Amino acid sequence: MNSIIFGGLAVLSLFVFFNLGKVKASKKQTDRDNRINRFGNNNPDNIIEGESEEVTNEDK
Amino acid sequence: MSKHSALNTFGRSANPAFTRGFEANTQSLPLSEQMTLDGAVNKTGILLSLCFTGAIIGWNIPSLIFPAAITGFILAMVTIFRSKEKAGSTAPLYALAQGVALGGITLMYENQFDGIAIQAIGLTFGILASLLICYKSGLIKPTENFKLMVGAGIGGIFILYMVSFVMSFFGAGISLLSPTNGSLMSIGLSIGIVCIASLSLVLDFDYIEEGVEKGLPKYMEWYGAFSLMVTLVWLYLEILRLLSKIRSR
Repeated sequence: MNSIIFGGLAVLSLFVFFNLGKVKASKKQTDRDNRINRFGNNNPDNIIEGESEEVTNEDK
Repeated sequence: MSKHSALNTFGRSANPAFTRGFEANTQSLPLSEQMTLDGAVNKTGILLSLCFTGAIIGWNIPSLIFPAAITGFILAMVTIFRSKEKAGSTAPLYALAQGVALGGITLMYENQFDGIAIQAIGLTFGILASLLICYKSGLIKPTENFKLMVGAGIGGIFILYMVSFVMSFFGAGISLLSPTNGSLMSIGLSIGIVCIASLSLVLDFDYIEEGVEKGLPKYMEWYGAFSLMVTLVWLYLEILRLLSKIRSR
């Protein structure tokens, strides 16, 4: 009985892992501000919007 | 022409202080060379199969426990600190070696407590699946504070094990860690350790998920699977110890 219950639990859990593991996490999980940032910031806020002008000696 | 004309004119700065945030951004890799969830899960499956194969060997030849455990430890250190790129070759060897060690250790417990192995296996995978559901649904949200909490817990457990290891050279030890100590205090400590090991799984799921989002290279699938495997091995051993304490009462 012990083997059937725990063996069944193991098989069922592995089935869940191999199926659910391949599904992307919910928006609730991925679209958060307080996520752990392990691989550098991809946040576009880091890029300053605007135009740049070349400064030459003649302008001074 | 992009709106960021400064970038168009001067390009990205080579200053490491500025590039630090971009260096890991490998979105430019072709899709076929990027890490995927499918790949990471399939590779975890391969590592689990190798671990089971090793466990059958270890179960039949228990004298291999120590050589296999030491080999597994060295391979883990090499994978973590030397070459993540080579995780594709070191992780399967790690899983096989740890499987051999786990097979032998499981046999020792099984000789003392009949049926303990299948209970530990069932509970380990049960925790894996339930935490995966909690993670994917957003019920458990790993944050920097969560990571700090789990990291502090792992650090505390590591120090406890190290003290116990050093004390063992002088013929002493921490009785709370003994698998035959059925006191409530000892069982409570084991439950705490199992909780920390379980929460580490959530960090592993998040690591893989974030790696896929950031388009990390393909070899990181192996590294993600390896991280998951390390945590599963630890969790399994702690569950074995907890069950043994409960059954010693």
